[in-house]
Order: sequence, then C-alpha cells, then structure tokens
Amino acid sequence: MSGGWERLKGSRSRTTRDSSFHTPAPSRTVTLGRVQPQAPGHRTIYCNDREANLPVRFKGNSISTTKYNFLTFLPKGLFEQFRRVANCYFLLISILSMTPISPVNPVTNVVPLSLVLLVSLIKEAFEDWKRFQNDMVINNTLIDVLQNEKWVALPWKKLQVGDIIRSFCRGAFCHLLVIGPDFLTEFLMLLCHLIVSTFSNSNFAAICYHLSFIGKIEFGNVKKDGFFPADLLFLASTNADGTANLDGETNLKIRKALERTWDYLTPDKATEFKGEMQCEQPNNSLYTFTGNLIFQKQTLPLSPNQILLRGCSLRNTEYIVGAVIFTGHETKTTLAKGNESMGILNMGKVMMNSMNVPSKRSTLERKLDKLILALFATLFIMCLIGAIGSGIFINRKYYYLSLDKAVATEFNPGNRFAVAALTLFTLITLYSTIIPISLYVSIEMIKFIQSTQFINKDLHMYHAETNTPALARTSNLNEELGQVEYIFSDKTGTLTRNLMEFFKCSIGGEVYGSGVTETELGGAQRNGIKVQEVRKSSTAIHEKGFNFDDHRIMRGAWRNEPNFDACKEFFRCLAICHTVLPEGDESPEKITYQAASPDEAALVTAAKNFGFFFYRRTPTMIHVRESHVEKMGKIQDVAYEILNVLEFNSTRKRQSVVCRYPNGRLVLYCKGADTVIYERLAGGNDDLKKVTRAHLEQFGSAGLRTLCLAYRDLSPDTYESWNEKFIQAKSSLRDREKKLDEVAELVERDLILIGSTAIEDKLQEGVPACIETLFRAGIKVWVLTGDKMETAINIAYACNLINNDMKQFIISSETEAIREVEDRGDQVEIARFIKEEVKKELKKCLEEAQHYLRTVSGPKLSLVIDGKCLMYALDPTLRVMLLNLSLNCHSVVCCRVSPLQKAQVTSLVKKGARKITLSIGDGANDVSMIQAAHIGVGISGLEGMQAVMASDFAIAQFRFLTDLLLVHGRWSYLRICKVITYFFYKNLTFTLTQFWFTFQTGFSGQRFYDDWFQSLYNVIFTALPVIIVGLFDKDVSASLSKKYPELYKEGIRNVFFKWRVVITWAWSSVYQSLVFYHFVTISSAGGKNSSGKIFGLWDISTMAFTCVVITVNLRLLMMCNSITRWHYISVGGSILAWFLFIFVYSLLRENVFFVIFVLMSTIYFYLSALLVPVVALLGDFIYQGIQRCFFPYDYQIIQEIHRHEPDDNTRAGLLEVGSQLTPQEERSYALSQLPRELSKHTGFAFDSPGYESFFAAQLGVYAPQKAWDVARRASMKSKPKTPKRN
Amino acid sequence: MSGHMASSSNGGSGSGDSGAPRRNSKRPKYSKFTQQELPACKPILTPKWVVSAFLIIAIVFIPIGIACLLGSRDVVEVVERYETRCIPPAYANNEVQYIQSSVDKTCNISMTIPKRMKKPIYVYYQLDNFYQNHRRYVKSRSDKQLKSLKNENDTSSCKPEHLATNGGAIVPCGLIAWSLFNDTYIFSRPNNQNNQSLTVNKKGIAWKSDKEKRFGKDVRPKNFQGGGLRGGGDLDATIPLSEQEDLMVWMRTAALPTFRKLYGKIEVDLEANETINVTLGNNYNTYSFNGKKKLVLSTTSWIGGRNDFLGIAYLTVGMICLALAIGFTVVYFVKPRRLGDPTFLSWNRGPGSH
Repeated sequence: MSGGWERLKGSRSRTTRDSSFHTPAPSRTVTLGRVQPQAPGHRTIYCNDREANLPVRFKGNSISTTKYNFLTFLPKGLFEQFRRVANCYFLLISILSMTPISPVNPVTNVVPLSLVLLVSLIKEAFEDWKRFQNDMVINNTLIDVLQNEKWVALPWKKLQVGDIIRSFCRGAFCHLLVIGPDFLTEFLMLLCHLIVSTFSNSNFAAICYHLSFIGKIEFGNVKKDGFFPADLLFLASTNADGTANLDGETNLKIRKALERTWDYLTPDKATEFKGEMQCEQPNNSLYTFTGNLIFQKQTLPLSPNQILLRGCSLRNTEYIVGAVIFTGHETKTTLAKGNESMGILNMGKVMMNSMNVPSKRSTLERKLDKLILALFATLFIMCLIGAIGSGIFINRKYYYLSLDKAVATEFNPGNRFAVAALTLFTLITLYSTIIPISLYVSIEMIKFIQSTQFINKDLHMYHAETNTPALARTSNLNEELGQVEYIFSDKTGTLTRNLMEFFKCSIGGEVYGSGVTETELGGAQRNGIKVQEVRKSSTAIHEKGFNFDDHRIMRGAWRNEPNFDACKEFFRCLAICHTVLPEGDESPEKITYQAASPDEAALVTAAKNFGFFFYRRTPTMIHVRESHVEKMGKIQDVAYEILNVLEFNSTRKRQSVVCRYPNGRLVLYCKGADTVIYERLAGGNDDLKKVTRAHLEQFGSAGLRTLCLAYRDLSPDTYESWNEKFIQAKSSLRDREKKLDEVAELVERDLILIGSTAIEDKLQEGVPACIETLFRAGIKVWVLTGDKMETAINIAYACNLINNDMKQFIISSETEAIREVEDRGDQVEIARFIKEEVKKELKKCLEEAQHYLRTVSGPKLSLVIDGKCLMYALDPTLRVMLLNLSLNCHSVVCCRVSPLQKAQVTSLVKKGARKITLSIGDGANDVSMIQAAHIGVGISGLEGMQAVMASDFAIAQFRFLTDLLLVHGRWSYLRICKVITYFFYKNLTFTLTQFWFTFQTGFSGQRFYDDWFQSLYNVIFTALPVIIVGLFDKDVSASLSKKYPELYKEGIRNVFFKWRVVITWAWSSVYQSLVFYHFVTISSAGGKNSSGKIFGLWDISTMAFTCVVITVNLRLLMMCNSITRWHYISVGGSILAWFLFIFVYSLLRENVFFVIFVLMSTIYFYLSALLVPVVALLGDFIYQGIQRCFFPYDYQIIQEIHRHEPDDNTRAGLLEVGSQLTPQEERSYALSQLPRELSKHTGFAFDSPGYESFFAAQLGVYAPQKAWDVARRASMKSKPKTPKRN
Repeated sequence: MSGHMASSSNGGSGSGDSGAPRRNSKRPKYSKFTQQELPACKPILTPKWVVSAFLIIAIVFIPIGIACLLGSRDVVEVVERYETRCIPPAYANNEVQYIQSSVDKTCNISMTIPKRMKKPIYVYYQLDNFYQNHRRYVKSRSDKQLKSLKNENDTSSCKPEHLATNGGAIVPCGLIAWSLFNDTYIFSRPNNQNNQSLTVNKKGIAWKSDKEKRFGKDVRPKNFQGGGLRGGGDLDATIPLSEQEDLMVWMRTAALPTFRKLYGKIEVDLEANETINVTLGNNYNTYSFNGKKKLVLSTTSWIGGRNDFLGIAYLTVGMICLALAIGFTVVYFVKPRRLGDPTFLSWNRGPGSH
C-alpha cells in the first residue's frame, strides 16, 4: 500500500513539472505568477507552541479586503475619482474659475464637482463598508483549534501560526469507498492523480466521474463543505490511508500527510505533537512549497502535497488535522489574488471577493465618449467665436468701461490678441456646463440600481430548482445587453443538461412512446397549435435516463403486441449490447449504471424498465433478470455469455456484442448509426426498413438522437471461424485497431433490423423557445462546442438552430481526401493540404451564399465547421472569407473547438465585424470565450464557478437570456440612451442661452445667470427626474418585450443613440435656447408693470432661468413612455426646488436681491412663464406628433396595439409564469396533435460529450484517437493506456 | 463574496412571498419596485391627443394674445431720437469734442402727442449700443458699500473707479455709478393756455426693494466723480443713496445693449396732437461709441409699457396651433394610420423599407 503511494508521490511531482510544459493553463500560472521577492531566509514555525512563535510576530489570520481605512479614504478615494477625465476637466475648470479671468464665481464649478465627488465617495464608502462586513463574517467563522488538549471553536481571526486545527468536511459523503482489487484501485488513483495534476480544470470532474465506477469516489455536496481558514500543514486525517481530496470548486487535488504524522488525530495525541517547521517565506506561488519538518529529531522534507491552501475545502474525508503555516494576508491564495492564475485556478467562494474581474466598458459608453468629445469641440468653437468677437469688440471708445487707464490685459484694447486669448479661457469656464458633469455619476447610479435591484432581484430569472437568482457581476454593461447581435453558446451544460433520456423507440415498424420533445413543442407553438396537456398514465415511469410512456409495451404488455418477437429481441439487445457497469445493490430501484456515455446508460435503464434488468457483469457474463418472457408475471435470471465485444468508435459508428444464450443460441447484437446499420442489413423485408427509416427521420426532426438496433443469428461454425480471425487481430502488434475493424466487418453483415431507439439529449428547459425568440429578436446564435460534429448538428436541430429548410454549409476535416493525406503523416503537407481544402470550401460556400443572398426568397443559410478546419480558416489570409461567410449565415455551429478557438471566433466577430457579442457558457473551457466577448454570461447554480467568476452576468438557465436581453437589456439600453440624450440636451440648451447672451455683451463673457443658478442647475434642478427616467421608464411591459422580440432590433441597430438622434436633440436645443433667450429678452424690454418700472439684467436672467427649468423638466415628461408617481414627484419637486431656492436666495444675495418678488409682482412673469415653455416645447411636440403619427417606431405601434390592456405584468402574471416553470418532464402532450415533420436528418448521435470535448479542450486540438476509450478499457481490464498528450 | 457565508449571516433574507418553505432561499423578495411593475400612466400620443393639445393651446393662447395685444395697444408711446439733433452744426463732424467741451448743451426739441395720454405718463431715456452688461462693467460695483455706511471702504470690486484722486473711497464706487446718465429733460406745453411747464416727478421710479433694502439710508455720496475723469452725472452729496432714485435705476444694469430706463413721471394728461417742448440737457456722451439717445414718453396699461411682442407671440402660437390642429385633422382623414396597425411594424414592412 505505502509502496504504491510512494510511487504515486514520485510520479505526481514529476507530472507537476511536466504538466507545466504540456498544458497551457497551469504553465501560465507558473510563468506569470508574480513571485514576490523573498525575504532572506525562511520562517521557522514551532507547531503547537504559541509562546515559541511569539517573538517572530507572525501576522494574524484576519484578512481585510477593504480598499480604504479612515485615514486613506479621502486621499485615496479622491485620487480614484480624479482618474476620470470628466472630473479632471471640472477640476481644471474650477481652478480656472478661481482666477480673475473667470466671469463666474468659483462656486459655479466647485459646487457641482464637490457634489459629484461626494456622491461618488459615499458610494465608495458604502461598497467598502460591505467589503468590511464580508471580511468580518469570514474573520469570525469558527474553526476548531487545539487548546489545552481540547478542540476549542475559535473565530478564524484568532488563529495563529503554529496552531493545530481541525477542519471538517461537512459534505454528505465523507468517505472514499474503494471496491475491487487493490492494485486496480491503486492504478486508478494513480491515473486519477496524473490527470488531476495535469489538468486543473473543472472538466476533471467529468473524468473522475467516469473513472469513479471502479474506485468509487463519492462527491460530497460542494455547498456544505467547510473551508480551510489558513494555509495548513496537513498532519492527519480520518482516512486510514491518509489521503484527502481537496476541492476548490471542482478541481480535486489529492493531498497526503507525511506518514510520521498520521497518528496525531485525536486531541490528546495532537497535543503531543511538537514539531519545528522551517519553510519558505510567504509567496504567491500556488503550486510550490518547500520546507522541512523537524520532528522527533528527524528532518522530514515537505512538499506541496502536504499543504492545504486557505479557501479550499475538504472532500471525502471526515476531518483533517493541520498546523497553521501562513495566515491571513500571507496565505498563498491571498497573495496570488489578482494574478491571472486566479482566473484559471479558483479557490472557492471564500476568495470570491478577492477576484479582480477584468472590467469591460460598454459600447454605448465608448460612443458617449465620442459625444463628449463632440461637445468639447462645440465648446471650443463657441469659445473661439466668443474670443474672436471679444478681440474685435474691445475698443477704447466704450469709455464707460474705463479702458484708458492701466487696464488688465484681458480688456486691454492695445493687445487684441491677448484679449481674445484670455477671453477664450474666460468663456471655457463660462460654458463649462456644456459638459454634463453629473452625467457619469448619474449613469453609474442608474446602472448600479438597475443591476442590483432589477436584474439581481428579477423573479423571472430566479431558478427555483437550484435556488439561484440572476447575478449581475458588473453594472457596466447593462445597456450593452440591449444591443447584442451575436450569441456564442457552449453546448453541454448550457444548451443541454448532459442528460440522456430514453424517449421513444420504433420496434418492428411500430412507434412507441408518447412524449413530445421540446423541439416539437416549439414547432407547434410557432404554428399556433395549442398543445394540450395529457394526464400521465399510471404506467409512466420517469427516472434518470428514462422518460418514456406507452401502455402498449410497459409492464409486460408487449407480449400482446403483434410484433412480440421483435420486442423481445429489441429489449435483449438493449440489455446485452453495451459496455455498462452496474453498481450498487442488485435491485432495480437501487442500481446505478456507470457508462462511458450517458446514452448507453439510458438504453440499459430502458431495458430495465421494459423488464430486462441487467444487474451484474462479470468479465465473461452478463446477467439479466427477465420478466414476462415465458409468460406474464414470471421472472427469471438469465446469464448470457459474452463472447466478443466489438467496440464503438467514431469511424465504425456502431457497437456489437456476440453472446451465447444459455440454450446455446449464438447471437450478434449490434447497435449503431442508421447509415452504417442499413448498409449491413440482410436483404428482404423492405417494408420494415422503409417504415423504420421514416421513423428515424421523424425522430431526427424531433431533435432526438437515434440508434438502429439489429441482430444476427450465428451458426457455431461461422462463429468459430470468425473468432479465430478476431483473436489473431486482437493479438497483432501492428495496426491492431485497423485490423480489428476489418475483422468486425466480416461478422457485422446480413443483419436483421429490429428497430430504433430515440434518446432525448435533454435540452435545458425552454432552450428551443428561447433560441426561437432570440432569432426573432435579430440575434444570431452560434454554438461553439467541443463535441463531435454529429452531436453538434443534432443539438442544433433540437434547438431549432438548423432546420431542413436551411442551406447547410459543412466544412469538415473528416473527408476522404484529408484523411488520406493525414495517413501519410507528413505534418507540413497535412497543414498545407487542409488549408487548401478549407480555402476551396470557403470560396465555394461563399459564392453559393452570395448567390442565395441575391435571390429574393432564398433559403436561410447555416454553417457547420469543425475545429481543425476552423484553425486554418482563422488564418489571417482566410479570416475575411470566413467572416463574410459566417455573417451571412443564419446560424453557425463550430464543433470540436478548443477554448482558445472559442475565444478566437468570438473576437473574430467582435473585432472583425464590430458587432456586439455575448458569450454564454458554464465551464472552465468557456472562460476564454466569456472574457473575449463584449458580454460574458455564466451559467450559475451548478458546480464549477469558473465561468461565473469570469462572467459579467450569471444566470441559472439559458432561457433566462430572454429576460436578460429582451427585457433588462432592452430597457437599460432605452433608458441609458434617454438619460444620455437628455443630459446632452439639457446642458446644451442651458449653455446655448448663455452663448446667445455673449453676443450682446460685447463678447465680454459676462454670465447671464447667477453663479448659483448655474451650479445648481445640473445637480439639483434637473438631476433627479432624469435618474427616475433611467430607472422607471419602460416603453412596453416585460411580457410584451418578450412577445414581440423584434423590438430588440431597435437596440441592435442602435436606433436611439445614433448621431442622427443626437443631432435632432441638438436642433431642439438650439431652437429652445433661442426661444428662451430671445423671447425673454425681447418681451422684457420696456416698462413691465403699470408703474412703468424697468427690469435689469438679473430680473431677465431669472425669468429665463425659470423658463429653462420648467421647460427642461417638462420636456422630460414628454419623453417618458410611462409616468409613475415618482416622475411627478421628481419633476414637480425639481421645479418647486427652484422656486424655493430662488425665494430664499433672492433674499440673501445682492445682485439678485428680491428679483423673484419683483418678477412675480408683474403679470409679465406669468404670461412669459406660460408662453416660453409652451413655445419651446411646441417644436418638440410637433416633431413627436408627426413622428408618431406618420413614422412610428415599432414600440409605439406595440403600445398602441395594447393600449387598452392593463399592465399585464401583475402578480398574477408572475405566478402564472411560475407554474409554467414546472419541470418540463412532468408534461406530456398528445402527439397526434402535432404536425409531423419528416426530415432527412435522422439524428444519429452516440458519443460522450463529457470527455471527448474535454480532451479536445485541453489539447487545443481534437480528441486524440479513442482517448475516451481509455477509461472503459480500464474497466474491461484490458491493458491500460494513458492518454497520449501531444 | 456573496457565497453561502454571507447567506448564513443573513439567513432571514426570506423565502419570498410564495411561501416556499425552503430555508436559505435566495428567491428575491417580490416588490413592485424590483419587478419594475410600479403603477404608471402610459400616455400615448394619438392623433386625437395631438389635435386636442393643439386646439387647447389655440383656445387658450389666442384670447390671451388678443388681450395682451389690446393691452399693449392701449399704451401710447412717443419716441424721439435726439442725440444727432442736439449737435450744433459747428460740431457736426466732431460730436465727441462737443460733448466733452464745456459749451452749453441745452437743446430744444418738440414732440407731438399722437393720442391722448392719460396720466401718469412715464418718461424714459433709451440708450443704444451701451453695454451695461459688459463683464467689466457689471461687476464694477460694491453692493455692500451701497447698502450700509460701515462698508464704505469695501471698494475692491469697483476697480478702476474705487478711489478718488484724494485717496478716499468713492461712494458709490465703480464704473456703473461713475457713468451715471445725466441728460436732463424739462417739458413744457407751448400750445397750452399758459405755456405751463410739465413737472417731472422723479420719485417712485426705482423698484421698492432697491430703495428700501439695497441702497442705504445712511450712505451719502462721497468723492463721487472724484477719480480724475468724469464719467457721467454727479450726485448730490447731501442726499442719502436711498433717495437717489436716478442712481438706483441706472445701477439696475440692463440686460441688453439697447435699453430704456425710467427718468420720471408726468402726472398730467396730455391731449392728442398736442406738441410739447422738451428742453434737453444733452450732457451724456454717447457719441464716443455712436450710441443713440432717445426720449420716450409712454403711458402704461395692465401689461406695462408698449410691447407687442407677447401679444403677437401668443397670437401667432395660437394661430399656428390652430392651423396644425386643422392640418393634422385633414392629414389624418386623408391618410390615416390606424392605431396599432401591425403592418407598420418594421418587420412586417419587409426589407429595405426602413
């Protein structure tokens, strides 16, 4: 035993080193990890001896992830704020306004800036407070620490270096259950270990899962596991052999304590443990550790194998005992945070808050930058005009300006150039309001609330089964969600559940099974057919892998069917022809099947439910408990001798078993793809073939995966002669695989067709409907998967991504020509040849595509391409062609792609086509794609957090994309567009009134408005309503957004934030500002009350300002689609705030002293206050009226269609949605009501998505030849073979 | 970290209102706010609304416009430009020299009253091309100084007219006060039986707030026009600023370079076609900058002085809205778009039409 472990250890350390060269992920970690400069020497830790450790003053175990403390908050927070250009600009303006050249009091610019800074700082402080609270929770988590020979629960923060602690695994199953001979177990552990150390990847879980049928490793519930509070030295565990599986998320790592310390498990024993540890200083390298344990006068070397990292959790072991080495901020995981490595290796949720998400900026925001630049340009032009004017104007003749004496340069007529230059600066400070200072902070606030309150709390996006709400991990990209044009989706786990269920079958020309697939449902709904729910019959059984109901063949009823014999063969074939291993109790309820592919397990489960219960496998026998065969109700155990297994592989596409019945009958059972089976059928019985073919097509179009079942009776002579050849081939040393295939061909002929099976590759709930909706919304969905082409195409059919009406372009590397060249083996030649082929194909497809595009009603196009071809197609020379082709395609399926290629395809569209992309995936192999896209969406709620950690949004189900994009995204987009354009409008309008005034002040830069008016305009009088609009405005309700997905196209086309829109608003601003300025100034000339008194400058400007505030606020109401109480309150409040302000303010300030009372004592005030806003708004009103009546937007028509309906988004509606969410499997619909579609696509697929894609993912290429068979071979006790890595 | 450690700390976050018995449920709580279902009014701008809005505006605005126009037309206004007429021919090409010289600048003009003017008749002077709103000018004053004696020396904002040549603070300081308008008008009625002069009442021409609050009762002019060059009128140093209404009017700086300011009131009715003589003290220099000077006699109505703008604007807007209402109605009947007609949806209109 221990010898085995020594070997294991040795190989592990070797593999760790090797792996860094072979696999990209860990090597990056090693090379990129910023290994911090080491303090000289090492640290010496006295285990279990606090006093001895005291002089060294190790750091405590409390951690702090806060950015600030009381002292650093202000300087650091301010520094952060001034990294924004807008804030810097306003700081500059504020400084300028302190100089004498400024026409305005510094207050004009300082007040808004400080308010904006204040709001931002409060937000920062709030977030930091949250972080602090989280830290507190972590720091106060309890852990058992050894004190006075007892385990005492102490908070994490009290933990000190050298302490002995006990950490529990709180998972359900905490043991490593090992069955089978010892050497096998050991071998498997070794293999397991090799793989673990080679691929720190979540897909490892899949491998382990498939390995687990021998050395059964129980996976505990991740959610309940305890985490390690610090970096520990692993001393002992409850597992006798001293192993423990650790888990970050799904990355299992086996750790082994030193043999010498195994005993120190109980408190009294552990108290005796007094060791001295010499180890490296804290560093951020996760995979290395060097140190020695000086223990009982022996020096024991320590390796990473004995180190348990903080934040990892324990698996498969009840508890472990460890000594604390590094604490708090000195732990490796903490030091490594922010490292790129953390994206790959992630350490569980404890560390989640220390993850740095690469921040993405939305496209709209980048466009906003352009708008701001345009505003800067406008500002400059305005200032230039003013400056030139001032240079021309300034003249000594205006003696009342007293320009004769020694006058400051800014007014010195003797130096007009200097006057102009200085006036330029003056005007910049005067017109600074053109840049909306509060825009960024307002948008940030709006987006923050949108994401935290709306997206995170949307009940429509809450998944009850996994108890997962949606999570917006960034609030930067809300509006980007409203403009997505391309979705790149992973397949397994995202579109499908990776769950195969036996769904239907065709036996002897008769279809059985009454289920309705998701695809059919979608199709029916599209055609407007109401699918009625049919009560489930009592015979219905639904278990994992079996979702089938037909009273004709269940419970032995098949005996009464006319094709009774075919049924029997069919069921036997299912029960015998497979490579599944049974596990657990030999009773139908408790048994579980371990299969290389879930399809196989599903088939065997089906046999079990039909009464052919496969319960035991020995190397030569298969035991089946058969019911109802002889007569109803009779149960008998039958043992079939398995003579040969002709294995499945992707070229053969079939699998055969030769078995001998107890009565001596020799039968070959075969199952495989319809194409290969049909080729090998015996002649005759064409009717059955035809009918079955039709059924296969029907299954295929329903999105099911089909297999044909056939058998052949063999005579003993035939068999013996063949078996000799087979044994020869099996023992040959050269080309064994090829020879075996050839031998198999000899016996797999003259088959008799039994029927076919249809397995549903369980899609995630609502996927076809969701994709259909997304299509209608103008979004193109691409599937990028590591799976085989057949599987990928099959799923594409099931998801409605591809249908038979489409013209399919398939670019595959699995062609004869390519294979031929590959067989020759010259790498250079292969590359050149494939590239040529791909180029030819691309050119051909592109020409064809263009031909179809020219025809008016040409078919929709779809492209299927595999990873190898993609590799060449992504070559810079072919890239443009690929892009042109794929952009013309309705849907694109890329199969057998590596994670890197996923990212490449994503950036091809993102950068090449400049379209907004979204990637969605659930696994670690999607991380690169998620990060490459504009928006990354992770599927949460399941194990494996890598995708979520790298994502911007996390949702529990693919179908929630509809809500996320069509509802939240669209609304956010609309709202942010409105907010931006409105900000633009209101500031431009305001500044332009000022600009017009400049012309009549001799270009002197005299301000029109009082300082405080100007400074509070942005932050008080017009601030709140626009935020309310940014939060509450909705054009159509959520359900209508989903009912009319086409509305989303407005976002893709960016209808609401085009330059045209901006220019329209700009014209509106110019018009309104002209109205404000000229109407007020012209009408105010002359005596203004019956006592003939005259207004001064401030009276008029107050009048104008009143009009501006009223108009701008009312304009906001005009652009609202829905007006809530908050709109009224905020708009009314803003106008009221102005009046309250001016009432108070005019009593205090000299220059505007009493103006509002003077104004309000005249009738003129009221007449103007009515006239000017109405005239100003009239232009916009006419525009809106004409636009709406004659050129309506789509959403406006939808509003009109549903104008009489109450808001359907009520509570009742929500509950109804809730009932729709009942698991799809509980539904059963009448098949007869469905339209039958026949298709040539028969839906053959028989592979194992888990590991093929896994290897493809890991190696960056394609699945190595038969790599997936390794595990199964091992199970069959054939010669083990480790996967080749090259 | 939003993981389960947080959720364990606030495990009471509730299981939503569906009453799911699950503990630690992360189901968000229902609220109208988070589900974005706040009750809202959803105005739809249908043609009916558009037309009615236009009609309402028309119905409201046209009467107001007529009323304003009538109010404004009630006002009788006589405007007489005099700055060129008051130049003696000898100085015709040298107006600036004339105005700066010390010759007698009295000048007589006559004005004909077109319509009967009821008292009170307001006398305004109107200046042109005079940038009272120039930045240098506007800020050249000290409101503190004007307000109270104790701030007499608070003249820093008044540069360059803050200190007299003798070093003392100028009260009132600054360019505005310095350039005080100082033309004088004496009216007489030659055709009247006894050629009586019309007294101009110069009280009550400033806004009450100026008089009571902004110009101190204890502040008296001091060193005024004592800063070397003379800018304009002088002030009686014995009268406190709160009584100097001319100054108050002048110092309420105008918004535009063309402005009127109230000079005084004539509290006698003037008959139609009556000619009145004005004896002008043409002292104020607008010649330097080619500014016009006008004398205005005007009555007032409820709306104030003569200003047709409001009336015309109201009427025009009313008319336009009426026209638009009719236009919209016509177009609506000629080429109607049924409300909520799905054929107008962009995806129903077929490609290329958008």
